[in-house]
Amino acid sequence: MRTILSAVALASFVWGTAPALAGEKDVTLYKNPQCGCCEGYADYLRDNGFTVTTKPTHDLAEMSRQAGIPDEFQGCHLSFIDGYVVSGHVPIDTVEKLLTERPDIAGVTLPGMPLGSPGMSGVKEAPFEMLEITTSGTIGGVYARE
Amino acid sequence: MSYPRLPALTRRAFLASAAVVSASTILRSQARATSVRAFHLRAGYGRAQIAPEPYGQTPVWCYDGSLPGPEIRVRQGERLRIAVANALDEETTVHWHGVRVPNAMDGVPHLTQAPIAPGEVFVYEFDAVDAGTFWYHPHHRSFEQVGRGLYGPMIVEEAVPVQVDRDLTWLLSDWRLTRSAEVRDDFGNRHDMMHNGRVGNTVTINGRVPDTFPVRKGERIRLRLINAANARIFGLDFGSHEPVVIALDGQPVEPHAPEGRLVVLGPAMRADVILDMTADAGSQVSVVDRFYEGLEYRLVDLAYEKQPLRDTAPDWPLALPPNPLPEPELATAARHEVTFNGGMMGAMVMQEMGGSMGEAAPGGMMGGMGSMMNMMHSGGIWFVNGVAAEGHIMDPILTLARDKSHVIAMTNATAWHHPIHLHGHSFRVISRNGKPTRHREWQDTVLMSPRERVEIAFVADNVGDWMLHCHVLEHQAAGMMGVFRVA
Repeated sequence: MRTILSAVALASFVWGTAPALAGEKDVTLYKNPQCGCCEGYADYLRDNGFTVTTKPTHDLAEMSRQAGIPDEFQGCHLSFIDGYVVSGHVPIDTVEKLLTERPDIAGVTLPGMPLGSPGMSGVKEAPFEMLEITTSGTIGGVYARE
Repeated sequence: MSYPRLPALTRRAFLASAAVVSASTILRSQARATSVRAFHLRAGYGRAQIAPEPYGQTPVWCYDGSLPGPEIRVRQGERLRIAVANALDEETTVHWHGVRVPNAMDGVPHLTQAPIAPGEVFVYEFDAVDAGTFWYHPHHRSFEQVGRGLYGPMIVEEAVPVQVDRDLTWLLSDWRLTRSAEVRDDFGNRHDMMHNGRVGNTVTINGRVPDTFPVRKGERIRLRLINAANARIFGLDFGSHEPVVIALDGQPVEPHAPEGRLVVLGPAMRADVILDMTADAGSQVSVVDRFYEGLEYRLVDLAYEKQPLRDTAPDWPLALPPNPLPEPELATAARHEVTFNGGMMGAMVMQEMGGSMGEAAPGGMMGGMGSMMNMMHSGGIWFVNGVAAEGHIMDPILTLARDKSHVIAMTNATAWHHPIHLHGHSFRVISRNGKPTRHREWQDTVLMSPRERVEIAFVADNVGDWMLHCHVLEHQAAGMMGVFRVA
């Protein structure tokens, strides 16, 4: 029935059309249905002028893999912003840099959920290193350090 | 301990006397049952039509080539002898979830038995002490073995069951299928381990994606729900119907409507629900799973046949006879603390809950961030009293005096739900966040919400080293299990 059909259909919808539909300031953020911090990050993007739609999914790891992010480099949610994929609690300056410079990469990831990052509580313990996701689906070097 | 072998005829007398004398003393003095029921199970590879046509069959791991495994159905008091043959290419065991078996029959690899090697057979033998709805599954690499389909229902019938028109079992599970309906191979990945486990994209009842389920107006159904999923929590809404819960985890409970009319089942949990089919003949009512906000879906449609069975619901009694469980004495009970930490956002929650962890919590839990960081650096993801398990063999986190009453106060200092399962015992859930529970329900698996504190109470009447673990199988594999010793 629809349980599998909708799941498969959702996945194909995500990869087929969501990035293409999105405008400059439109963000689609996929998150674990029970993760509160991801909502915190969505609010952070909204505070910085983006229009954010959050969509819960049970398939985040696979979606991140399909976006070119191996398991050990995945953030805890996945945003599609103006043609780029942004994984995890990436600070706004890096997002703006990405959208301004428009490098030839698929996007950036901040693995894990570092304390003190946007949407997370706690005190920052070390600089955040945002890693490049290459267009061929691998992890490149450090794109930005904040 | 030795277990009661109750001939059905002596049960009533037994129950009466259990009220005045220590139940466990009584249990040991019972005569052996004469009846032994022999079963065979073969863990191996098979194929199953999980997804509907036009999807093909899915390769699965299962018992006796069937998905779910064959229903083992016996009467209370009967003795079971189950020969498990391992036709897998890897070791396995079988755990009889919720059944109060002797320690050596509990199916925990290395702790209670050597794993069953490929090609070998292990014979389990124990008595069906309690009537109720139970299930069986491997306890060895269960995050993959269960996730690929190794499980089956075990039903122990009461001597005098409640009267119903149909007694049905719905074994619920879910699967992470690829677009070609194969099981996706990403078992034990870090994302699942750190978040809420391997929640699938395809939900099945008794191994198949259901469509409609035929019912008749006026019919009374005893629906035995078993959550065999690795990680999915169900919150079933039966539409216009008013389900009445009569047993949880196999143990009778005062018949009651579940909160918000939602039957919530964490992984491994069971509920026996009485459903009176009260909608119109010829109509269709959806059963909707509402647990995850924004991801609600229709599980199945109850399809009423044109001919009613009767015009109104029957007024037959709903309560089940109690099982022979020893009643814990709270006034004299020894108290113990168990704290769960870790996972995504674990450091944050631990920081927030720092003041409520309790001075008694061992393992330097009051160290807050520092100790959390130490835990994280140990490589584990989830922790029970500060320790992330790396296998089934470990020093006990608790030692419980045999035949004494014990209260375990458990704190979920994480951002995630955890169904906490104790082996060898059923326990009363006596409070949640300091508030007494209404039904003081007996469970073997208690679903703890994020940041929740739950007190359970029981008599430790089953000697041995037993598991206490989260039944989100990815959490278990990533450290969330411990051993408690009854001696």
